[in-house]
Amino acid sequence: MAVAVTLVRMKVAILRHSLTGQRGSMAASAGSVGVLLSAGTIYLAFLGGDWLSAAYAVWMLGWIIGPVFSGGGDETLRPEFFTLLGLPPHRLAAGLLVAAFVGVAPAISLLAMTGLVVLGVREGVGPALIAVPAMVLQLAVFVLLSRVAVAVLGIALRSRVGAVGAGLVNGVVLAFLGQGWVFAIALGQGDEIPAIVRYLPSGWGVLAVQGDHLALAAMAVLIALLLAAWAALLTRRAGAAQAPTRGRRPMRAATARDAVLAKELRTWTRDLVRTHQLTFALAYGVFFAAAPLVLGWTGMLPLAGPIFIVMAAAMASNVYGTDGTALWLSVMTPGASDVRGRQLAWLVAVAPVAVLLAVGLSAVNGGPWPMVVALTVALLGGGAGLVPLVSVYALVPGTDPQKRGGNPLRTSEDDGALTGLAYLMMVLVAATGVPAGVAAALWGWPGVAVGVLTGALCFWWFGALAERRLAAQGPELLHMMRTGRRPSGGAEGRAGSAFKLPDMPRFQRAVVLVCMSLGAIPLIPQGILAAVFVADGRLGHSWFLATHMQPGLRYPTAAAMIALGLAMYGTSMWITYKYKKRAARS
Amino acid sequence: MTAALEIAGLTKAFGEKVAVDHVDLAVPQGSFYGLVGQNGAGKTTTLSMAVGLLRPDGGSARIFGADVWGDPAGAKRLVGVLPDGLAMPERLTGREVLTYLGLLRGLDRGVVAERAEELLTVLELDGAEKTLVIEYSTGMRKKIGLATALLHAPRLLVLDEPFEAVDPVSAATIKTILRGFVAGGGSIVLSSHVMALVEQLCDHVAVIDRGKVAAAGPLVEVRGDATLEDRFVDLVGSASSGTKGLSWL
Repeated sequence: MAVAVTLVRMKVAILRHSLTGQRGSMAASAGSVGVLLSAGTIYLAFLGGDWLSAAYAVWMLGWIIGPVFSGGGDETLRPEFFTLLGLPPHRLAAGLLVAAFVGVAPAISLLAMTGLVVLGVREGVGPALIAVPAMVLQLAVFVLLSRVAVAVLGIALRSRVGAVGAGLVNGVVLAFLGQGWVFAIALGQGDEIPAIVRYLPSGWGVLAVQGDHLALAAMAVLIALLLAAWAALLTRRAGAAQAPTRGRRPMRAATARDAVLAKELRTWTRDLVRTHQLTFALAYGVFFAAAPLVLGWTGMLPLAGPIFIVMAAAMASNVYGTDGTALWLSVMTPGASDVRGRQLAWLVAVAPVAVLLAVGLSAVNGGPWPMVVALTVALLGGGAGLVPLVSVYALVPGTDPQKRGGNPLRTSEDDGALTGLAYLMMVLVAATGVPAGVAAALWGWPGVAVGVLTGALCFWWFGALAERRLAAQGPELLHMMRTGRRPSGGAEGRAGSAFKLPDMPRFQRAVVLVCMSLGAIPLIPQGILAAVFVADGRLGHSWFLATHMQPGLRYPTAAAMIALGLAMYGTSMWITYKYKKRAARS
Repeated sequence: MTAALEIAGLTKAFGEKVAVDHVDLAVPQGSFYGLVGQNGAGKTTTLSMAVGLLRPDGGSARIFGADVWGDPAGAKRLVGVLPDGLAMPERLTGREVLTYLGLLRGLDRGVVAERAEELLTVLELDGAEKTLVIEYSTGMRKKIGLATALLHAPRLLVLDEPFEAVDPVSAATIKTILRGFVAGGGSIVLSSHVMALVEQLCDHVAVIDRGKVAAAGPLVEVRGDATLEDRFVDLVGSASSGTKGLSWL
């Protein structure tokens, strides 16, 4: 137990130092969202056991999948810190497990677990008492599943086959989660929870409270097994290096831009994390679009290409950050068109697959050709423009590749910012497809011309903006990478993330956060997608409001939604701008 | 004659801490200049500002008269830099790194290929033809860094701790290359905290202490009759430091 106590104290000390300033406020806002989700979960406990089991299934998936997208999960205490101590692996794993319970995410999950107590109290005194150990065991199951998943993935990412496989699995799981309604309908129980949810490990706590005491024992056994698995995986992790990737072809580039292109393409193929990301984006696009096939509907298939493009851009949103301090070479060679080379490399990596998907699957579905072609072209241009732009304006300092520990997913210490950046990128890239999508929906083929135009404009103009920022702020960005911290105040403050919120009163901050986080809903699904559905004649479509309206009101509803979304983004940007200017003046 | 590197009043503060405080240095053309100081004295910060990798709060740096911040393209063309502990394009092989950088520097493809071949052979990196830089040892990383600094035939080399973690055989090779560079009219600034090395290689030296220049000039003038190490301890530390033992050993 001494090991565990020491590790817990160490973690508390580190958290106390790191959860200050911007990261502290970010953790606080993430925490408040988590508390809301927990409250929702507890509310479900009043509806009944099956609802609670379903909610916990979602929590479990969050614990397993979350770390994949947030840079390897909680790594406050890295196993490598302790390799020289000669601790037996099971003691280290047990100690790390206890320490893993300290933190914002476990605290919030534990709050969500109090749903079990609510459920128990409704059933009687005995079940209420059972709920307490069930709560703790259930949380331990989640935390351990998360750790084992990260460890397995870490080992998978040492080989190309593993990286591709892991990307595939993650993409499929996430796509099917996003399309859950398809399967709910396919199973013919649209408003009923499938029985299998009850028997997943996430439902065992509920089972125990409902009187199946064997479930408690089952959880204990599962915990023991997971702990043993994790201890075994920890010994394999220490000292792990990236798998060497063979197959060298001589570099044939002859200009500076082509040299950057060649360097980037080699990095795309040799860095297994990037391989994993691209496979993930591909699997997500394909399976998301293919899920409605279960219902015999092929209409979404052609969108696999566009979805893949948006995901691939989101995965590359920190393309400068992941290279770490190698940025010094660009700083030392001004005018060497680094941005243009990276844009081309992203296109070469993404475009052929995207085009193949778009053409092939449109052929299967028999169209709609103008829409798919217009979206593909516009999004490719938008992505290629936004990837360097976002990554220099909102740079998240990365850990230098040669200094990363045994967790290859950990490309930065600031994992919250990485996740935020990926979401931001998704929204922005999707937005670059809007004009072409609307034009194609309204007029057909001319939409393709719009797509070509906006795509080319995004590529050229965003690229130029990124190049200018890199030339003007290169040393500041490099300093940020070097120290791993965003500069605060003084002359360096200018190089901080352009998306960092300035100081403003609490009410204004709340307005900005709400508008920014929710603006996408009216803009994209309720606005643009709904307009596309209306144009396509698909009415009465689940929760797309415009498709339920009277004929004359359909387009106006969608247009109003788009306007609302844009107004929300506009408001938040205007408020931010106002306070930024005020901060600059003082 | 214009100085190879002229630093005037360079200043940098990180938060409350002033890392470099109005440093003035003039590195004459053809000189082998050593910058010595304790860990954290401000050597790396000074050199980073001198070559344009870190923006100073005040002061200026000129490379053969070209202002590093006013005419970055002109100044950076003339200098080769080996920074300490910065990343490279990690997933390229040594030869690919050199090809990539040569092309970035605007060199002709054929020239790049020839120079890369020669650098890899001389620095004995040609045996690791299939190894990615990320798999290099610390010493190999220094050598490939030095190769990138030399590739575009600069007139000034700025090297931050070039001999750290380099084995004695490789160190001898590097010394030969650097001496040849100076003999051919080039100028070198290197930082180190190994006094013997600086004494052996350099003809000029500057002692940096707590962000300020404690002494600077030709080596013989700075060290006087003593060794550089004694003089250094005189300048920056109290004589008693280093005599405290550990209580439990």
